[in-house]
Amino acid sequence: MRAIPLKSFASLAVVGLLVTGCGQGLLGGDGGGETAKADDPIVLGMLIPQSGSEAAIGPYMSNAAQLALDEINAKGGILGRKLELKTADDACDAQSAAAGANKLVTEGVDVSVGGYCSGATLPTLPIFGKANIPMIIPAANSQELVDQKLKHVFLINGTGSQQAAAAEKWITKQGAKSAVLMHDNTSYSKDIALRTKTLLDAPGGAEAVLVETVTPKESDYSANITNVLAKKPDFVYWTGYFQEGGLIARQLRQAGYKGSIMVGDGSVSPKLVEIAGAEAAEGVYATMTQTPETLEGAEGWVAAYKKKYNAEPGPYSNQAYDAVRLAAEAVAKAGGTDGAKVIAALEAMDGFSMFSGPLKFTPEHTLSSGGFQILVVKDGKITLQDSLK
Amino acid sequence: MTQLVWNGLFVGSFYALVALGYSMVYGIIKLLNFAHGDLYMIGAFIGFAVLGAVGGVSASMALPLLLVVLLATMVLTGLAGVALERIAYRPLRRAPRLSLLITAVGASFALEYGMRAAAGADPRVYPVRLGGTSVEVLGARLTLQQLVLVGVAVVLMFGLNLLITRTREGRAMRAIALDPSTSSLMGIDVNAVISRTFFLGSALAGAAGVMAGAYYGKIDFLMGFLIGLKAFTAAVIGGIGNIPGTMLGGLLLGLLESFGTYWLGGEWRDVFAFGVLILFLTVRPTGLLGERVTERV
Repeated sequence: MRAIPLKSFASLAVVGLLVTGCGQGLLGGDGGGETAKADDPIVLGMLIPQSGSEAAIGPYMSNAAQLALDEINAKGGILGRKLELKTADDACDAQSAAAGANKLVTEGVDVSVGGYCSGATLPTLPIFGKANIPMIIPAANSQELVDQKLKHVFLINGTGSQQAAAAEKWITKQGAKSAVLMHDNTSYSKDIALRTKTLLDAPGGAEAVLVETVTPKESDYSANITNVLAKKPDFVYWTGYFQEGGLIARQLRQAGYKGSIMVGDGSVSPKLVEIAGAEAAEGVYATMTQTPETLEGAEGWVAAYKKKYNAEPGPYSNQAYDAVRLAAEAVAKAGGTDGAKVIAALEAMDGFSMFSGPLKFTPEHTLSSGGFQILVVKDGKITLQDSLK
Repeated sequence: MTQLVWNGLFVGSFYALVALGYSMVYGIIKLLNFAHGDLYMIGAFIGFAVLGAVGGVSASMALPLLLVVLLATMVLTGLAGVALERIAYRPLRRAPRLSLLITAVGASFALEYGMRAAAGADPRVYPVRLGGTSVEVLGARLTLQQLVLVGVAVVLMFGLNLLITRTREGRAMRAIALDPSTSSLMGIDVNAVISRTFFLGSALAGAAGVMAGAYYGKIDFLMGFLIGLKAFTAAVIGGIGNIPGTMLGGLLLGLLESFGTYWLGGEWRDVFAFGVLILFLTVRPTGLLGERVTERV
């Protein structure tokens, strides 16, 4: 009988030790990079659409991220620690995104390298911010993401206003007199369309005669197209995603529209050409940041991606790849995973080589160079038309 | 103006085809089959697979080939509908109505994400597509292919109406709709008739799926969601459970959307469509052609 209290005391002590031990381990993963054990992996979190309307994009991004990760790990990792990727599903919707972000935070993510749909990425900013986790956003590019001037948010894709500026430049350069802007009412798409309209509304050049909104996930846009054609525009700019973009291009041509069609970066995908059909897609312009297809020296990267996944890289594969490399570089420079130090390292980054060119962040944490260019569908392939430089 | 009417009728005939299945199932077992829109999606994918299997036919043969594929797909989608009923709904025949409804929502997700697991999340594009050059008729631009599709839809709907009003099978369906237990006492195999109802409704949704795939080109695993809601709306407008009413509801909804988009702008298209749904549910829940039924206690 007497032995029992002693025994339980001993076991309590052991449990206590274990708990504190574990606690330290968890803390180490969270904030104090210094206290982390050398064999703890550096965890990168990636919030991407894996279900829902944009589910097709998720694998393009996570595959490319994994590719970057494997390359870094093959070279021995960062600070002697391996990298690890944890993904969560944002389904391109705000509720799922918030849940996914909380899940990643609980799993002890050190840096976030995800974010595709702007509408889904916006609600995750405070969640990662509260946990002191820097965010390198590879694809989402609504101006709203940086308008709040949050210290931990970095965009490595051009912003909506940069894209709108490129669109306006090209529409004017083409000598168009009247332009119609079409968007799908998502944060990303509406942002670009309205910014382009504001730019076009300035005196001189083309005039924005209509902003037409469509409902995503429909198949038939004939009602919208009848509205568009009634304005007899000579330029139509669609700022949404490729699923609708392909249908809209096809249905515009079927309805007898002869003017120019241009799409935004969310529509740049070989699938756009497939959906529209080669005939309707021919000559469609696009505003896009640098892609492997238009970049010299990216053939090796495309080949590596193909070899690993037996598929072509898709939209935002290269940005996701760059986001992981950038995160690794920042952690290396910061000497650990402490959020504030990583943020400082990112802000100090100068000349880090990415697909979009050497990286340096502006004070509002967007790219200072490597803006948008104009692509065109030529013989069924998306090729560079004008770098707008 | 004629363009708006034509746009509305064209889209409306798709809505009507899908809505018929909704309406028939509701009419016979009082179940709102929320998975019905996904049968339209299944139909589109089955059509895609069948086309792939028979592929290698020249483009000039596109229309006759598609009609053959359409028939094959209708049979297969019909069977899928029967399987859905057998697996998801029959075990719950005596359960409260709410459990059936919840099961239908679950079945819808199962079909969507099952198809995603099977075929991937990327949208697919039909190898054979109906495009065609458009001609002006009375100021509206339409293509021969559109006319053929509307023609097929009309033939299918008339066929269904004949089947229901003129055949023994149809009589059995109507009898069950009125009173399932008495019907079974009268020697009708209720389960078999319900299976056939699911077969017919699903086959029509499958036909609409193939036609949408062949005309618009793009199919994906979520394509059934919105059209399912629209078909439900169409059925409510015309009178859910009432076959001619449902056809009328489909065409009316197409027209409403077309004119709504013109008057109010594209962002209001769905607001308009579902606003009308709410209006009907509050003011005339039995729809335009539905009869007011007094339920005896």
